[in-house]
Formats: sequence, C-alpha cells, structure tokens
Amino acid sequence: MNKKRFGFAGVFAAFALAVSTLVAPSASAATEIVVWADESRGPNLTKVIAAKGDWVAGYTVKVVTFSSFDALKDAFDKATDASGPDIVVGGNDWVPTGAKSGKLAPLALTAAVKARFNPTQFLDLTYKGKLYGVPVDINNVAMIYNTKLVSSAPKTFGEMVTNYKSLKASKGLKAGLCVAGGGMSWGAHSVFSALGADAYQFNSRGGIVYGRTFSATTFGSNVRKYLMDGKKSNGFFPATDTGCKDNFLAGTVPYAVIGNWEWADYVAKGFTMNLMPVPGVTEGTYGKMFGSVSGALLTTFAAKHGVEAGAKSLLTNFFASTDGQVRYQALEKRPPAEKGAQADATVSAAQRGFGSAASLAGIPQIGAFLNTNKGGANYWDSAPAYWTAVLIDGKDAVKEASKLATIWRVNVEAGKADL
Amino acid sequence: MTYLIRGKVALLLKIIIVGLASAILLMLAQSAFAQREYVISAFLALTILALVLTYLTKISIPLKFFIPGILLLIAFVIGPILYTVAMSGFNYKTGNIISKEEAIVQVKIRGIEADPAGTSFDIKLGTYDGKEAILISDIANLKYFISTADSRISVAANDVTLNEYGVGITAPNFTTLNDAQMASADKSYTKIKFQYEGEYFIALEGFDAGIVTRQVLEYLPATDEFRNLVNGSVYRDNGRGNYALVDDQTAILEPGWRAPIWFENYSKIITDPRVREPLVRVFIWTVAFAFLTVFTTFALGLLLALALNRPIFGRRIYRSILVLPYAMPSVMSILIWGGMFNTEFGAINTLFGSDIAWFSDPNFARVAVILVNLWLGFPYFYLISSGSLQAIPSELLEAAAIDGANPRQIFRKVTLPLLLQILSPLLIASFAFNFNNFNLIYLLTGGGPRNELDGEIAGATDILISYTYKIAFGTGTQDLGLASAISLIIFVLVASISLYSLKKSKVLETFG
Amino acid sequence: MKKWLRHDSWRHIIAIFVCLFALFPLYLVVISSFASSGSLQLTSFIPREISFKNYRLLFNDPTIPYLSWVQNSLIIAGSVAVLSVIIGSASAFAFSRLKFKGRKQGIQLLLLVQMFPAILAISALYVIMERVYSFAPSIGLGTRAGLLLVYLGGAMGVNIWLLKGFVDSIPAELDEAAKIDGASEVQTFWLIFVPLAAPVLAVVSLLSFIGTFNEFILARLFLVDMESRTVAVGLQQFIGGQYSQNWGPFAAGSILASIPIVIIFLSLQKYIVSGLTAGSVKG
Repeated sequence: MNKKRFGFAGVFAAFALAVSTLVAPSASAATEIVVWADESRGPNLTKVIAAKGDWVAGYTVKVVTFSSFDALKDAFDKATDASGPDIVVGGNDWVPTGAKSGKLAPLALTAAVKARFNPTQFLDLTYKGKLYGVPVDINNVAMIYNTKLVSSAPKTFGEMVTNYKSLKASKGLKAGLCVAGGGMSWGAHSVFSALGADAYQFNSRGGIVYGRTFSATTFGSNVRKYLMDGKKSNGFFPATDTGCKDNFLAGTVPYAVIGNWEWADYVAKGFTMNLMPVPGVTEGTYGKMFGSVSGALLTTFAAKHGVEAGAKSLLTNFFASTDGQVRYQALEKRPPAEKGAQADATVSAAQRGFGSAASLAGIPQIGAFLNTNKGGANYWDSAPAYWTAVLIDGKDAVKEASKLATIWRVNVEAGKADL
Repeated sequence: MTYLIRGKVALLLKIIIVGLASAILLMLAQSAFAQREYVISAFLALTILALVLTYLTKISIPLKFFIPGILLLIAFVIGPILYTVAMSGFNYKTGNIISKEEAIVQVKIRGIEADPAGTSFDIKLGTYDGKEAILISDIANLKYFISTADSRISVAANDVTLNEYGVGITAPNFTTLNDAQMASADKSYTKIKFQYEGEYFIALEGFDAGIVTRQVLEYLPATDEFRNLVNGSVYRDNGRGNYALVDDQTAILEPGWRAPIWFENYSKIITDPRVREPLVRVFIWTVAFAFLTVFTTFALGLLLALALNRPIFGRRIYRSILVLPYAMPSVMSILIWGGMFNTEFGAINTLFGSDIAWFSDPNFARVAVILVNLWLGFPYFYLISSGSLQAIPSELLEAAAIDGANPRQIFRKVTLPLLLQILSPLLIASFAFNFNNFNLIYLLTGGGPRNELDGEIAGATDILISYTYKIAFGTGTQDLGLASAISLIIFVLVASISLYSLKKSKVLETFG
Repeated sequence: MKKWLRHDSWRHIIAIFVCLFALFPLYLVVISSFASSGSLQLTSFIPREISFKNYRLLFNDPTIPYLSWVQNSLIIAGSVAVLSVIIGSASAFAFSRLKFKGRKQGIQLLLLVQMFPAILAISALYVIMERVYSFAPSIGLGTRAGLLLVYLGGAMGVNIWLLKGFVDSIPAELDEAAKIDGASEVQTFWLIFVPLAAPVLAVVSLLSFIGTFNEFILARLFLVDMESRTVAVGLQQFIGGQYSQNWGPFAAGSILASIPIVIIFLSLQKYIVSGLTAGSVKG
C-alpha cells in the first residue's frame, strides 16, 4: 500500500529529474572535417594540419588515429554516416570495395591538380573510370644487400644464388634472399617477376598490357634451376617472410626485399643505402618491384555531414598539394606521391630512391582485378601458396605455376571491366 | 549493512536509486527520440517501465534479481543475435550495404559525367540577386560569367576585379561569401547545378574549382527506374538489391542496397558446393580441435595436479611458475608463439634442430594450434583439478586402499570418475569456449595454411568462427548475409548437439 | 633420501618439465623487451644486450600514453569484474534458489545464448553504439563507458553460468533458516549468500578481469582516441602496422601490464584454487 505510493512518487521524481537535467544533445559542428588514419599516419597528419590551421578557410580539421591499419579498415567497413569519416587515408585496394558499397564518393580533379601526379597513380585510385581520392604516399619495396657479406651489387639472379652457396657454411647463413616487406605476394612480386612471372605490365603510355606476361613454363623452370635442389628447396629463398628483417640485420641473410616504410629503421641500424631491384636471370634485366599508393579517399559521409565542398578543398589544398605533402612527408618519411614534393629539397635521398624505384615499376590498380574473388580465387591471396607448395611440399614447380597463372588470367579477365 | 537492507531507509534508498536510474534512462530515451533513434528510444522506455514495475511493486520477486542481467543481455547479446538473424535474410555484402534510398542518391551522383575535354574553371562563391551563384573565371580566354541554378550571365572583363592568380573575385551585383559563410554554404551549394551550356552544368569541386559535367543517369521515381539519357537504356530494380539493365541482367548500377532475399543465403549453404564443402571440413576440424584441446589441457592439468598433490619440496615455486601462462595476457603469448613456430628462424625448430614448416603444412599447423592452446589452457585445469583432488573425501581413497586396490586402480576406478563428475560442467564450458576460440586462430595462424592453388577456400586450421569472420569481414568481398546464415546454422548444430549430450549426461538435471 | 627419490622424483620430473614448457615463451618475451633492435629475439636464446630503450619509450615518449592505457584497462576491467559479478550473482542466486515458472527454460536459454557464434555481433554492436553516440556522446562509440556496457552484457552469460554452479553448492539449509527468521529473498541474498560466496565471487571477478584485460577486437574498434585506449589496443599498434612490426616496446609493455595480474594471481593462489573448484564441487 505504502510502497505503491512510493512507487508513484519515484516515477514522478524520475520525470521531474529527467526534465530538469535534460540537455539537448550536442550536434557535431557542421564545419568540422573528420579524417581517419592509421597509427603511423594519424599523428603526423595531426601535427601537420595543426601547424598550419587554414588549409580550408572556415573549417576545422579533426584527425582520428586508429591503433593499427587493420583497426582502421575494420572500423571503416562498419562505419555509417552516424560516425563515419569525411576523408579516410587508406590503401589503394580499398577503392573498389568502398566504391561498390557506396562508402566512397567520386571526385573530379581539375587539370591543374591532375598535372601534379603521375597518371598511373590515379589509375591506382580509380574504379570503373571514376576517381575516389588523391595519392598521398607511395608504398613500394626494393632490394638491399648486406655489404659485410657481399661486396657488390649482384648482376644476375644466379650470382646471388652462387654467393649464397659459397658463403652458407662460412658465415652461417640462414637464407640467401628473403622478403621483409610486403609479404609473400606483393613483396615477393619482384622475385616472381625476376624469374619470369609478371602480374602486370605497362606500355609506354601507362596503359596496362594484358598479354601473356605470366609464363608458367619459363617461371617454373627458373624456380627449379635457382631455388630448388631436386625436389627440395636449396635454402636460398624462404617460403615465408617471418623473421627476415631480424636475420638480415643479424647478418645471416645477405639480400632482402624491404619496404620503404622501414627504410629509416635499417639506416638507424647501420645499413648503407644500396637500393636496387631484384636482378633477373640474364644480366641487365630486373624484376619489377611492386608499388602502390595510399590515398586520401573522399567518403559519401562528407556530403551527409554537409562538408562535401570543404572535404574536397582539403583534398586539393592539403593532401594533393606540394606544400602539404612536403610538410607531411618530412614527418612520415615515405616517398611523396606529388611531383613537386618529390623534387623538394627536404625530401631525403632514401625517399627519393624509393620514389624513383616506384616510377620505374609503374603502379597498377591491383585492388580492382587481382584482389577480388571473381572466378574463384584471387591472385594476391594465392601467390604465397605457390612458395609453400613448391619450396616446402616439394610439388612440381611448373605445374603449380600454371595453376597460379590460371588464377591470374581469370582475375585479369574478370577485372578489366572495373578499371 | 543490515540497516541498509531492511526498513524505511532501505526503501528510501531503493526509491532514490530506481528514480535516479529511471531519470537518466528517461533523459537518454528523450535524446534518442529527438535524434530519431526510435528503436533505442523504445527500448529505453521499456527499460524504465521494467525497472519501476519490478522494484517499486511486488509483481515478481525473481525479476528483482534478474532485471539488470536480463536488460544487459537483451541489449548487448540477444539484440545483436537477432540482428544477425535478420541479416541472414538479406543480400547483405560488399556492394549491397546501404539502404535503397541512399543507393539511389549515390547512383545519381555517379551518373554525372565530366565533359570530354575535362573543362574546369576557377570559381568564387557568392550571391547574385539574392540567389546562390558562382563567379566563374575562364582564365585562359579571359572570360568571366556568373552562374546560378537557372541562368548564366556573362560579365565584361573590365567589370571584374581579379586576384593575383587572375581569378575574378568581385563583379557587379555579385556578393562574395566570406570564409564563415562559405563553410555554412557547403550543404546548399554542393547540391546546385549551376548553369553552363545546354545539358552541361558546373558542379563544385571544392570551393575554388568548378567542373563542367552533365547528368547521364536519370532517376524516374514513378516507375522506380534509372534511364541513361545518352543512349536511352533503362535499369530496373532486379529484386536483389541492384538496378540492372533490362536487356542484360549482368550489367548493374553500383552501389546496390541490402535487399531481402529471404532464404537464399541458407539454400546456398546446401546447394552451392563452394560454400558447403569448406564448411563441412571446417566443422569437423572445429569439433576435433575443441575436443583435443579440452582433452590435452585437462590431461596435462590433471597430471600436474596429481604430481603436486603431495607437499613435495618446492611445490610453491612450481605452482607459481605453472600459473604464469594463465596470468600473461593471452594476446601477447599467442603472438610470441606464432613467432616461435617460424620455419627458418623460429625457436622451436632451433631448439629441436628440425626444419618443419609449421604453418605451411596442414597437419603441423594443427599440431601447433593444439600445442599453443595446451600452453594457454593447462594451468586452468591444473588449478581446478588440484582443488578438486583435495575435495575428494580421503576416506573414500583409504577404503579403496584397504580393499586392496593399487594406486593405479584407485585412480582409475575412484578418483577419475569422481573428478569427471565434479568437473563435467567446467569441461563442457571449456569445450564451448574453445569451439569459438577466435583469438587463438586469428592471431596464431589466421586460419591457414590454405592451398589456394588447388582451390581451397577455408584454411586447414580455420574453425567455424574464424571462417565465418573471414566471410563477413575478410579482404575482398565481405558477405555479411551469408556469414549470418552460417552463424545460425552453426548455432542450431551446436545447440542441438549440446542439448542432447547435456540431457544424456543429466547435467541439466543436476544443474537446473 | 632414497625414499624421496623413489616416491617423489617422478613428481619433480613432471613439474620441472612442464615448468620449462611454461617458461620458454615468457623467457623469449623478456629478452625481446631488453633488446634494442625492436625485433622478436627468436634467433638466439642468450640475450646479446640489455637495453632499457623499450621501457624508456613507454614512459618518456609523449605520443605513447602508456600509463593512461594501463589506467584505462584497470578501470574498465575492474568495473566489469565488480559489476558483472554483482549483477551475475543476483541472477545466479535466483536461478538456483527461487522457484518460478520458466526457470529451467531460462537456464537453457542462457546456455544457448552462450553457444551462439557471436562474432557477427561485432557489426551489430558497432551500429548500436554508433547510434547511441549520436544522442549520448558520453556513452556511445569511442567511449570507455560504452565499451564497459558492451563488456558487461557479454560477460553476463558466462558469469551467471559459473556462479550458478557455486550457488548450487551452498547448502540450502542456511537460507531456509534465514527464511524462517523472516528474511525476504533479497535480504537472504545480501545477508547470507553474498558473504558466504565472497571467495568465489572474487575468483569469478578475477577471471572476468583477465578476460576483459585481454580483449582487443572490440576495444580497438571502440576506443579510438589515443588517451582512451586500453593496454591491449595500445600495444597492438606496435605490431599491427600495415607491413612492419616493432616487438620491443610491445614486449616491454606486455610484461609491465601483466605484472599486476601475476602478482594478484600468486598472492591469491590458494584462494583462487578453492574458488575455481567451488563452482564445480557440489555437496
């Protein structure tokens, strides 16, 4: 009886409290542009943008830093306009999926802005003829060698193998050439390429060549010749990338393919600058070193948040400008994508070295056709399995190569339409 | 203490707490309503009702104990489960993520095409005759004009003031926007098609540039179709979340939307061998993995418990060391183990002088997974087994010894059955936990190895949950609809197996 | 002495062998944390150098708020540990002691809910908390409070299940006696059950604490601000790079973060053993 009355009193009190304390939820400011980035780019972007506050007059820019690249991708996959970013700094392979799902918005750059970049770099951020972002930095790999083990740059692939075999016992080598950056598909692409299997090729105008660039027979027999000892691996090339960096630094591996994002770390540990592509089987030929760009991508959330024009201005005024890229890469230390920034004096020799290696390689839109499962498997995911099958399981090098070539061909055919 | 639980003070306290909780929830419910989050708002309102009814009336005593737990479970466990159930009825994957309304907006935006020459101009935002307008500077030809949504006015070059780049900044009757006005003009100006020539208009590309474009795809709401204005082709809703070309169903417009396809995701599991076959394989390994893990961790734990069941010298030190794997953050330990199994450089191969490719060979990878999980899990069973051993009445063991049983017999006939009986709920719980032990697989092998060259879709160490995760959130195409359907099927399977075995082992009776 | 050898040597052999197994990876972590190379020391078992570089980085680098991460982890895991056990034990008590319609179905439902492969719930939880953020920014996505709520919900099932096993083991005579004394169910719970169950509650709390401390999949999605991250998420950034990994600070940070847990574990050892077992041993 008594309790009931108290009950009503309670409800009443609740209402009274609620009404008195009700605060209107703070709507996010319409003039704030939100940029999402990973753990390495985020803090640097924050600093650079804060140092010069007026990249886009009338707007504030907020950089949200995620704890890792994977975390950033996870969050972007799940984000909706309730909390999604206006611009996201992500990999080129985000473009096809983001565009398909309506999370990325197309943009049209003026001729003046376009002129600041190498056209193949735009190809990397294009899906079905529409551009979804501006190139920010180049992610590519190159080979370095330990001068304490081998004195000069190798001229052929065979020379490296010979060096490895002769030094193996005396120096306690664990491997000859290993991949420390980019994993056994992108990172190892240069080895595929040096031995005769190219996943992509460009003509002089920067267009993609779809011809028979992937020769399973040539490649397979080269693998047999250089990497195998009968049915077993000769130990020159490990089938995984784990531990490669440690061992290269410890002096137990003479040659390593490394990524530009780690160059500074190698320098800090006393390695001199001797970047080069992986040499091919004949003198004077080289494997193509994989390269791609990271882009600042425009999202469809920007329009919903009412900052579309502001976000586009930030892309052109900051991300795609010489000034912006020079300031940013001074901290981030990757090769800048923008031409003016590449030529800038403050860009380090290593950044420039990688940058020119990248322009040699040409940069394909890998996301669009070698990363989707059209036709069953996808090339980039399947490539590491080749090394396992041949080097570890001892399967036939040519037969496995033709399986990979088939996957590659199906991917390319299926993906042409997406460029 | 008693004082707080009995009597008037307690009542008052209760009312204050319930009142306060209701007030906060009400506030949230109102804000949610204001933000048009009706489902959340309704849930919060029901929560208030439930709280008030339960704690301020005598409707049900058990509910007083259950309400907080139930509410949390509904909001963060059962709610998401129902969401998963709902997703399984949709074509919900990469390319079909957003709603239909959003998709139409996006298709319209993509249906804009720049003119063949890629013409662009420097622009200045402002107003003309009180209407939104842009001042366009064709620097190359020294031509200037003002454009609004419905007209284009040429301006003589000497009427325009130019900045240092030759871009017009003022013109007669044209009021330039300042920085603050520009920011707030963002919403409206970006949606305007400023007049240019014929079908071509100028769209904003940031605040300083305009691009000459035209609309190629037009949406016709009456018939719910898109029409290509250049070649006249028509795209209609294909019932699966895309607008598809009438003559060629494979030509679809992107993006699509999440469309209900009812049971298609389920039927795919049965009819599509590319879905079914890996799933069966993964299921078998999942069961084997969970069983082997429980078996090995329990066996090693029990062995240790037996070994350290007597106060031998150094027992405390042993025990302190043995619980360390349990106390270390498992994320860390798993990653370290991952490094230790590396073929060329890993500590395991170095230690044993072997050159096993642990994570490249399906069987070795499986052994590695079980071994790491043994490391992570044996301390738990060691702790509970040693506790349970002490709980076995010593008279029982003495009686058996007097009956002439040797230690081994005593263990097999008395200790072990008793232990199993005591620990069966924990063994079952451990099985259930390992059945869904996502972290281990995700961090250690990523589900691999997988022989993609021979068309394998699931990895050798993929368990159901990691496989489902890959389908839903992996690289390339993410198929949330299919993953949801698989989740549901897994659930039905696991639930029926467990309920059956629980019924058989009578655990539910003793437990329920 | 001979007797000792005969009777106890096998015990020592097993214990030493398993201790080595337990210590081996931990040893590698420790030497990695003292290496300056930033790599995982897998190539040699004997440390080449002792450097405190990684430890210094954690405390001196202003961009790495390690102490805030530890604090966040302790606050979140601690709150989950306490709250989930209070809420869970109430439900467990009701399941075990009170007679009501649908009790058995309730328990079965609870068991079933735990068996649901909840990995896809991540997207649902993300969407829910994103929406909560839009009207209540202080408890939505990106906040510690929001993550706490999600964890509490997730911890419910397991905790109720574990605790119920224990409640069943407390002789019913005790609370029946209380009932005769005129105590209500709520009073019985607070005055009889909670004090009796204290050791078990503590152990279940500890388990929740460790579980929450280790969680990173949800945490890395929910806690984006550098300052609001937990240790697991914060340390992940060292090894979760797009292509590169930096093991040194990760190892150092993990060791420091696990020291408190190890200490709790070792000091409460006896307690933990009895508590863990109590859930399963029935009278």
